[in-house]
Amino acid sequence: MSTGEPRHEAVDLPPVRRRVREAPAIGLNLTSMIDVVFLLLIYFMVATDFKQAEEVYRLDLPERVEGMSVDPFQLDDEPLRIMVRSTGPGDEEYRIHIDGPWGEVADFEGLYEFLDSRRLDGMGGGLFAEDHPLVVIPGADTRWSDAVGAFNAAVRAGYLNITFEEISS
Amino acid sequence: MANLTPMIDVTFLLIVFFVVVSQIVDLESVDLELPAPEQPATHLPVEEPRAVVNVLPGNEGRSRGYKVAGREYQPTPEGLAGLRDALVLLYQSTPTMRVNLRADRYTGYRWISPVLKVIRQAAGIADVGLEGASLNLVVVREDA
Repeated sequence: MSTGEPRHEAVDLPPVRRRVREAPAIGLNLTSMIDVVFLLLIYFMVATDFKQAEEVYRLDLPERVEGMSVDPFQLDDEPLRIMVRSTGPGDEEYRIHIDGPWGEVADFEGLYEFLDSRRLDGMGGGLFAEDHPLVVIPGADTRWSDAVGAFNAAVRAGYLNITFEEISS
Repeated sequence: MANLTPMIDVTFLLIVFFVVVSQIVDLESVDLELPAPEQPATHLPVEEPRAVVNVLPGNEGRSRGYKVAGREYQPTPEGLAGLRDALVLLYQSTPTMRVNLRADRYTGYRWISPVLKVIRQAAGIADVGLEGASLNLVVVREDA
């Protein structure tokens, strides 16, 4: 018996694909910042590497009290005076003269050998104690490097009481 | 995806370190050709209170002034008096400080001797004791 109603047949239709819109990823692109940061880091590291190793000589400048009476029996030893002059623009152009009967030495190595050989060694040899006062006297036009070279020779030779003479104004 | 946060943190810390250090170095030191003696009998600088006096190099072995704590002083009697006053203030705040003297290797001694005198006078005015001023003569090791 027919009811007159259309027959519906099951048809396998493909499932409806719903297009789900994904939310856009929110985030900063850090690449360019990291590039810049690394460039800065490399710059500072390289710039810092250019600095040379600085070292120091220790030196005391004792106060001079004018008019202070000095006990003549407690006078210091007569200082050994070392005069340094630059004689030309070259690094090797200088002259060193040691006050007293000793005269000139050829270079800073000669000054070191002179001072080292005359330092009291505790076995009867030598002439000057290690705390004997030494005064380096650079000329007004003496290069600072030559003044420091003479100072270095005295420090190397083991002397402890070394100073520079100031130019009187 | 790698987590870059710690790396960026460390990198920024390094940058801040280098920036701060370079500013401190610029404040204290001037670009000089320091003396480089052969076989130097020097010490490494000890960490202690200090003031740095730079003798600024000029032409032909002259000096164009002195620089302390970022401030320049002319090589004139007035400039030297200003330098002495600045050092007195520093000595009064830190009597045990040492003075690092930095001078160019080609500068003539006539420009450096007044600085030695001023440092000695400043220590005397600030009454740091009979030991007087303690200096560090700064040189550079070229074999380092």
